[in-house]
Amino acid sequence: MDAILQIVITGLTLGSMYALGSVGLALTYGTMGMFNMAHGVFMTIGAYASYTAATVWGLPLPVAIAFGILAGGIVGALMHLLVVRFMLSRDDFQTTIMVATAGVAILFQDLILKQFGAYPFKQPVQIEGMFRIGNTVIAYQSIAIMAMAAVLIGAMAWLLTKTRFGLAIRATAMNQNAAKLMGVKTELTYLQVILIAGTLAAAAGILISSLASLSPGMGTNPLIRAFVICVVAGLGSVTGAGLTAIALGVMEAGIGYYFGARYGFPVMLGLVILVLIFRPAGLFGKQGVIRA
Amino acid sequence: MTNNSETKSVTSRRGFLKNAGLGTVGGAVAVTGLGTAASAQSGEAVVIGGPIQMTGGGAADGIEFKQGLEMAAEEINAAGGILGRPVKIAIADTESGGDDKITSAGQRLIDRDGASALITGYNFGSQIALQNVAADASVVYMHADTARAHTALVGGDPEKYWQSFMYCPSEVYYGFAYLNYIKNLEETGQFKGVNKKIALVTGPIQYSINIANSIKDEATKYGYEISLYETVDAPTNEWGPTLAKIREDEPGFIVVTHFFPGDQAQFMKQFLTNPTNSLIYLQYGASLAAFRDIAGDASEDVLYATNIGVLSGEVGSDFAARYTAKYGEKASPNGGAQTYEALHMYAQAAAMAGGVGEAYDDVQNKKIADRLRGMIYRGPTGSIRFDPKTQQAYSYPVQTNDPSLGMSHIFSQIEKKEENGKIISPTPYSVKEFRVPSWIKM
Repeated sequence: MDAILQIVITGLTLGSMYALGSVGLALTYGTMGMFNMAHGVFMTIGAYASYTAATVWGLPLPVAIAFGILAGGIVGALMHLLVVRFMLSRDDFQTTIMVATAGVAILFQDLILKQFGAYPFKQPVQIEGMFRIGNTVIAYQSIAIMAMAAVLIGAMAWLLTKTRFGLAIRATAMNQNAAKLMGVKTELTYLQVILIAGTLAAAAGILISSLASLSPGMGTNPLIRAFVICVVAGLGSVTGAGLTAIALGVMEAGIGYYFGARYGFPVMLGLVILVLIFRPAGLFGKQGVIRA
Repeated sequence: MTNNSETKSVTSRRGFLKNAGLGTVGGAVAVTGLGTAASAQSGEAVVIGGPIQMTGGGAADGIEFKQGLEMAAEEINAAGGILGRPVKIAIADTESGGDDKITSAGQRLIDRDGASALITGYNFGSQIALQNVAADASVVYMHADTARAHTALVGGDPEKYWQSFMYCPSEVYYGFAYLNYIKNLEETGQFKGVNKKIALVTGPIQYSINIANSIKDEATKYGYEISLYETVDAPTNEWGPTLAKIREDEPGFIVVTHFFPGDQAQFMKQFLTNPTNSLIYLQYGASLAAFRDIAGDASEDVLYATNIGVLSGEVGSDFAARYTAKYGEKASPNGGAQTYEALHMYAQAAAMAGGVGEAYDDVQNKKIADRLRGMIYRGPTGSIRFDPKTQQAYSYPVQTNDPSLGMSHIFSQIEKKEENGKIISPTPYSVKEFRVPSWIKM
């Protein structure tokens, strides 16, 4: 029983981080058809920004977290204004944007390396302490990770489903020209989508680094996992990405316990192959449709 | 003008030998060689290539390796260089990657930067990649991969790999040394495990696997049993499933040979939320400042070992003080000392051999390799003396009983999170007694 509870807690913690990391990726793909290779570096930027705010500038932790999240959004917006918007009308946008955003990712990773070096700094955004359920110890940090993921993803779901802003995003995702004819400023919508994706990624980066440490390459692994989650869920399915992330997190923890920690990620990759063979659009996906 | 520079050069070379801690037979040979060979050497800089992991999982060490090279180069240059030639360091990032990254970094250093020798700490991959780069280019290559793969490769074909030197013993000794150590702790009454079970947690790198396997293979001979053998990915931040297994079958001893300092720090933090009565040994990573920095209070009482760590005593303490003064309190002398002493050793060997050879100059570089094989160098981490067959440093006390003839396999325990661990074994370097970790409630 203790082991099962431990698996669930670990799985939900991992799944929450994966969910935050992957829904932004799903959102940009679902809305713009853009697979953002810089999504991982947004996570890194968020983590380093909150570290800088808390440790270097000595700001209170809530302010540091907010600053980190904001930094991810700002960098995302800048990437849109300086790179993405000039490529949107290209016929081969889906391919070229991957190369372009990969370039942006390398640039930012190198800038971070130059500025901070490769020393694995400790993320100060951490909550000490724990409580027990039976013999299982649950860290407040795990609860904080789950809560933060739930709040941010919930807020995004509300935005997408209950507001005119979300309606504009969904309309743009379904048909850009039709949305334009209906008065939607699609360019602005794209900017807003990348800004949201950047903030979610930055939040994921802060949470991931709170359980690890800071390093310029810290976004690479989560990006691969986010990609796996998006493919399994169906590229573009935001709700699907969130649910798949939680499920895969729990599955990874369960496989780690029953079969060995080393099998968790390989099984995830195996799942991708199976999904691509038997359900190419993913478990929740429909090509070109964003579903909130 | 000429006279001035000659005077300065002679004085500073003496200073260089003093700084390098050289009071050996090799030192005398180098001094006699200076007058004749120096004039034959141009004043052009000697490029030493450092194929080092500056990014990725091994970067915490990589930074130290780079600093160690730079510090040694500064000292050598301040003392007049190698027979008058200043030393210049060129670094290529191996990205904590596999053989492809490591090979291309080594090749770039030789072809683009004109490196005359390759000196590094450790890299990942098969740990036999750079030996082949060095063999093809006939450059001396010195590393601390701590890899049995090196001894097998070089020992198997000494004609081809005359230029490759591992300036520490291989990882195979960690298994024997650990089992010897815990058995001794129990026999001397310093510690009594709750049982004879050892939980082994290893990682994906060959070094970690080899150490875990050497403990697994020998455990029964020492009266211990392996209750868990778990392999984790790198990085591993969430240790819940592994810790659940450990808690279900409490072992007297836990060994984590997966050596990434950040991962080890998370292991300790999560272990201590609900600890078992287990003595914890963390392979190598805990020796780095990054581990203490991330783990904080959870770093205290942890045991670790290294066969290339800075020793107590005059040479080691002096180096550690100068290193941390130069690079800050967060710097780890254990890492920096490796490349620091390797470069000093190379410089002395090159001086004794009559100068540095360029890449593809196998005649001159073979002379340097011959000097390296014959030298005993006492650096901050102990005495480097190469087994002439495998070109691997001898281990003390595993291979020799004389601490002046081998690199010490030291066990340390972290007393305070703010300080490096204190050496608790072997003599004559131990400065503290082992203490039972605070989480063990016997």
